[in-house]
Amino acid sequence: MPTLTIDGQTVEVEEGKTILEAAEQLGIEIPTLCHHPLLEAYGACRICTVEMQRGKRVRMVTACNHPAQEGIEVQTRSPRVLRHRRMIVELELGRCADLPVLRKLADDLGIDRSRFGTGEHECILCGLCVRTCWELVGARAISFANRGTDREVTTPYHEFSDACIGCGACVAICPTGVLKMEDIKGRKVIHSELTLGPQRAIRIPFMQAVPNAPFIDPDECAHFTTGECKVCAKVCPRDAVDHQMEDQFEEIEVGTILVATGHDVIDCSEMLRYGYGLYDNVITGLEFEKLSHATSPTGGKILMSNGEPPKSVAILHCIGSRDENYKEYCSRVCCMYSLKFAHLVREKTGAEVYELYIDMRSAGKGYEEFYKRNLEEDVVFIRGKGSEITTWPEAPGEEGKLVVKCEDTLLGTVRRLPVDMVILSPALQARADAAKVAQTFGLGCSRDGFFLEQHPKLGPVQTASDGIFIAGTCQGPKDIPDSVAQGAAAAANILSLVDRGSVVIEPITSVVEETTCGGCRLCISVCPYDAARFDEEKKVSVVDEAVCKGCGTCVAVCPSGAAQQRFFADTEIMAEIDGLLAEIGDRHQFPA
Amino acid sequence: MKGIEGLKAWQAAIQEQRDPDATWIAVCAGTGCLSQGAADLAAALREALIRHSLEGKVEVKETGCRGFCEQGPLIVIHPEGIFYPQLKAADAERIVSETILRKQVIEDLLYQDPVTGRRHIHEGDIPFYQKQMRLVCRLNGVIDPTHIGDYIVHGGYQAAAKALFEMEPVQIVEEIKRSGLRGRGGGGFPAGVKWESCRNAHGEPKYVICNADAGDPGAFMDRSLLEGNPHSIIEGMIIGAYAIGSHEGYVYVRNEYPLAVRNLQTAIERAEAHNLLGDNILESGFDFHLKINRGGGAFVCGESTALMASIEGRVGEPRAKYVHTVESGLWNKPTNLNNVETWANVPLVIEHGADWFSAIGTETSKGTKVFSLVGHVNNTGLVEVPMGITLREVMFDIGGGVRGGRHFKAVQTGGPSGGTIIVDTTGAARPAEDRDEHERGPALVPESLIDLPVDFESLTEAGSMMGSGGMIVMDETTCMVDVARYFLNFLTEESCGKCTPCREGIRNMLAILERICDGRGQEGDIDLLQEMSDTVADTSLCALGGTAPNPVLSTIRYFRPEYEAHIRDRRCPAGVCTALIEYSINATKCTGCHACFKACPTDAISGEVKAAHVISTAKCVKCGSCLDVCKFDAVVKQ
Repeated sequence: MPTLTIDGQTVEVEEGKTILEAAEQLGIEIPTLCHHPLLEAYGACRICTVEMQRGKRVRMVTACNHPAQEGIEVQTRSPRVLRHRRMIVELELGRCADLPVLRKLADDLGIDRSRFGTGEHECILCGLCVRTCWELVGARAISFANRGTDREVTTPYHEFSDACIGCGACVAICPTGVLKMEDIKGRKVIHSELTLGPQRAIRIPFMQAVPNAPFIDPDECAHFTTGECKVCAKVCPRDAVDHQMEDQFEEIEVGTILVATGHDVIDCSEMLRYGYGLYDNVITGLEFEKLSHATSPTGGKILMSNGEPPKSVAILHCIGSRDENYKEYCSRVCCMYSLKFAHLVREKTGAEVYELYIDMRSAGKGYEEFYKRNLEEDVVFIRGKGSEITTWPEAPGEEGKLVVKCEDTLLGTVRRLPVDMVILSPALQARADAAKVAQTFGLGCSRDGFFLEQHPKLGPVQTASDGIFIAGTCQGPKDIPDSVAQGAAAAANILSLVDRGSVVIEPITSVVEETTCGGCRLCISVCPYDAARFDEEKKVSVVDEAVCKGCGTCVAVCPSGAAQQRFFADTEIMAEIDGLLAEIGDRHQFPA
Repeated sequence: MKGIEGLKAWQAAIQEQRDPDATWIAVCAGTGCLSQGAADLAAALREALIRHSLEGKVEVKETGCRGFCEQGPLIVIHPEGIFYPQLKAADAERIVSETILRKQVIEDLLYQDPVTGRRHIHEGDIPFYQKQMRLVCRLNGVIDPTHIGDYIVHGGYQAAAKALFEMEPVQIVEEIKRSGLRGRGGGGFPAGVKWESCRNAHGEPKYVICNADAGDPGAFMDRSLLEGNPHSIIEGMIIGAYAIGSHEGYVYVRNEYPLAVRNLQTAIERAEAHNLLGDNILESGFDFHLKINRGGGAFVCGESTALMASIEGRVGEPRAKYVHTVESGLWNKPTNLNNVETWANVPLVIEHGADWFSAIGTETSKGTKVFSLVGHVNNTGLVEVPMGITLREVMFDIGGGVRGGRHFKAVQTGGPSGGTIIVDTTGAARPAEDRDEHERGPALVPESLIDLPVDFESLTEAGSMMGSGGMIVMDETTCMVDVARYFLNFLTEESCGKCTPCREGIRNMLAILERICDGRGQEGDIDLLQEMSDTVADTSLCALGGTAPNPVLSTIRYFRPEYEAHIRDRRCPAGVCTALIEYSINATKCTGCHACFKACPTDAISGEVKAAHVISTAKCVKCGSCLDVCKFDAVVKQ
């Protein structure tokens, strides 16, 4: 444990600490520009230069990387130190005259203006970004290029680097704000600071998530991309970060299952005529929702990609819904959320809003009233579906605008609406993996891919499989109140089963006679309820009677007659037929 | 081949094949001579020998640099040692027919002393060589660097064999320490002490590196050594590696030195083929592998930590050396780095012993030092002198004094960043009446500065340093502000740009010097330069920045009046800074020959034949063509 003196104060520090760390321990501030506690000391800016005396020898050393050695005496504000510090800051100011970080240092040192010009550089070449990329992230995408006064931070040959993983760590650490992120890895960027889509590798999944703890997204995390970084573990005071943790698959035995897997939204970029993904200011309803939320990077302000608020906004209903080319059904929720957006845009920006609708479907408690309120707020309603968005101007006033083409069916004319921003209301559709989920749980799917309920009126949350329920948009498009109601209904159904502790099963089920079963497994392949399985030991099919619905399909296909339906055995059927025929025979005499 | 006996047997076998009385021609094929046509000369000599049916009887050997680059291309005919400088391919026929066949010395081809006018037959008689002590360079110009046999026959690799078979590693370190050998790269750190620290450092593997980056303008010592005698460096590195406990070495050499790279590559291959490098050297059980690492030509990569970063494949920029490279160098392993000349000295020390070596030189600086003597001196070239020789001897006896009868003004040693200028402000080197008024000034340097002994301490005390061995002599036509500007321009471009004081400081100092040279200097500029120099020197990360202000500080120190003349009088006393000079024609001297009229590229000169001419200052671009063509000293530059 070396003991040293800094500005007359004695301090004992751990082995391996630097003078800068020792000074921190004493509360003595030494200014730095290129230093960061997470990075290896670099010693480039030289602003932390201090006077160090060891024995009789006095030297100027940089506090950030000189070890705090036993017995050294350090001066951090001697006349010689201050003289050099002023000169260095003045030299830096001559390069970058307007940087706040330098201006503050200059003010602290009493430097009014630099004698070395008013350089217009923005980068102070502190190398924090480069070292972050190399030491922490491990991507090694950026580096210094050229020598001397030509030195600059760049990617190899100034070209887009494949090594860049778009983590943004360089931007985050830059003390000058010079580095900016541009379109990264094909992700849609509508504002230079706002990347829609996952932004941070560590995040809480959503507000009110349970448990309300952050998790690391391995797809986004630099550590899982490059093997380096682990900054989170370094800074976590509770040592709570564990990069070794892995996804675990657990098997849980349950009596009932509620399937509530939700929906997907149709991909608007497939519908080329709307220019989604091509024009910066054509966004989807969900993106608008994120943008206008108070926690968005714009703080809830509705801004275009250039940072300006829009002066006019068009909201297009039924993008992919009620469209025989895509989805024939109505997505049900779009009318009402589009009205909400219109209201928000009017309220927050005062911009002109056009709602382009086929029919206004505001059936629901208080919904029609909200529609009326929008009408009163001067939202322009145009009855007609938006057919195309273009940036090709045909009339004055259309330059630099997004032009929405539509047929106004009330006026009977084709209209062109020049606007700044377009919000699309894409169709809700069944999830891409819905068929796979349906197979797993023995569910049926309707023609449009949503899960089939047991009965549209009498069993809206039940399914054909006992003990398996569905709720929400996996069953079909619906809004939040409907989803909540369905969920509650399913929960009540489940609770009644749980409370009883047992289930009443159908008396009519199939059984396979072991002695006659040939093990052909035809029954297993045809069973719609996954009730039949194969007993490898006995080499025969077995029917799970708790699952079997007694449909009799297996009985019909069984070539050996081993599969029999209780109470409907062949002998019973034949006897019934015989009985019936006997009665008829009594009345009518058939010739023998 | 095993041990020292095997080596000696090989040497004897080669000697047996060679007739000591046979005639052979050594053609200097150093880069200097090659650029002046040495390759054509060698070819012409061979053709001439064939014409006279002497092929196979007289050998033409292309050797490394003989040092007297001024006089290239040059040859020495052995065994007589007849020295012919400044040859052309056309001279080959005469040389073969007269000197080789008839043993006649061709008088007009002999070297003529520019001072005395005497002609000398033998190399050893020439003043340029007389005061030299060629130890490191002794085989340069004698052996063909691509033939390992040439090196072997002169006792090559015997020092390495002695070290491997007869000495313990500790003994070698002790011997080097006792010899007083100091690093020749600039700093002069005792080599033995460095070796010992590296030997004692913890960590495996250990590395040895030869710094052959040598990028100072006007310095070519290391390059010539590598080109002319690469085996001596390899041998030194084997000894060093054995003493330190290293099995892997690198030679970091500039890619701009193609001949050095090629000769070294050949030498390594030959040495490996003869079991002098690689596994189990000479069956001693010691392994040592040597690799060439070609540098991209950044001056800063001569700095040890930047050099190591470059070998590692990173950007060549220095890091703080608060932890020494002998403990944590290349790939954070103990690394011993020495420069070419230091390594080349090692076999000498081992072969002849520490006592022999330490007898040469001064109390603190032992052995010899190779300098590249350039600038306004009669005999430019590569000189090797014992430590302690005076500057006067180097510049005037070996260098033959200032060229063209001009007056000596200053000498710069130690390269641009290490360099400082030693100045003859007192005029000790010339009569007092010749001195210009502006030069008289206060005597800031001792009278005997010109007689300063060349050793590490004396040069440092005088405000200069040994450096890697550049020595640039300047005469009275040199403007000292312009010299400072030149070096700072070099350093601005060669600074790696990592640390602020070096990158921004030098750039801004250069801007100030440029405005002074441009006649826009301001009162207070000299003080500002000194203030900036103080910070740049004190706070820069590496030696490049730390010593960068030296050219400015030393020229201000010794030539302040010259700076003041630029700033206050808008006058360049040496007549170099074009913005501050004007050409005019002295009407009384002008004969109206019309030569200047024809030479002027901008038609600035008017006048009738046989009448005095006039220069229009508005049209004049100050190219100096008129001055060069005037035979009557009528054109005046002031």
